[in-house]
Amino acid sequence: MKHLKLLMIAFTLFIVGACGEKTDVVESGTYQGTISEVEADKSEIYVKTADDKLLELYFTETTTLTKDGATVPFSELAEGKKVEVEVKKEGNRLDPVSVKILE
Amino acid sequence: MPEGNFWRTEIWHPLSVHFPVALLLIATATLLVSFFIKTEIRKQWQNAAGGLLMVGCLSAWLSVYTGNLADGIVARKICDPTVLKDHQIAALTMAYLFTIASTLIVLSLFFQLKPKWKTGLYLLTLIFMLTGSGYLIYAGHTGASLVYQQGAGVNNHSVDCN
Repeated sequence: MKHLKLLMIAFTLFIVGACGEKTDVVESGTYQGTISEVEADKSEIYVKTADDKLLELYFTETTTLTKDGATVPFSELAEGKKVEVEVKKEGNRLDPVSVKILE
Repeated sequence: MPEGNFWRTEIWHPLSVHFPVALLLIATATLLVSFFIKTEIRKQWQNAAGGLLMVGCLSAWLSVYTGNLADGIVARKICDPTVLKDHQIAALTMAYLFTIASTLIVLSLFFQLKPKWKTGLYLLTLIFMLTGSGYLIYAGHTGASLVYQQGAGVNNHSVDCN
């Protein structure tokens, strides 16, 4: 019974881990990181920063997306690409002001 | 009266989400009660719990789908999307736990098991359902917090109702 309990706890923790990772809230500013996930249908990206923060960014109507100074479409974003994001903190919501693709 | 189309994309989530809340909690309570019944009607309680669990599980995944549709709209408007993230994680965890419980119930129906094994399988199912119920209640709490504390999905209308 003790083994069953431990198995249940481990299994539940595994499911919780598999169901999503908590995201972080940072101050307004500019951050560099790597895209860990792109949800194109929601115009949303997850960026993992160098200090291991996970930023969840929903593009707004005013968010600019550029590469080498030129505006590029959202489809240019992909998992693993390095980006520099300028975010504005509104409450605990992070609005991306600009996203630059670095590579 | 406030103008605008009522059938907005984010409306489908509150319309669908109350079915799994009711069905899965009643299913869990029904299976729990069945363990305290010693007569032959125990089987009927177990069958009732199984039926509620199956329908509840389907409605849970429907709610996950409608919640995903609402997410892209609501997350851009609310002031604390971290609550939304907690809500999503709890809801998805709950859906998986009840899916496992449903699978165990189906196994008990299709395989001829010794009474001792069958009781053990129902007990394991109940543990998954109780754990799932905990996540379901937390998902409900964070969902209510999103609506009543942050106005998620609420149509913005002017104060003077013009």
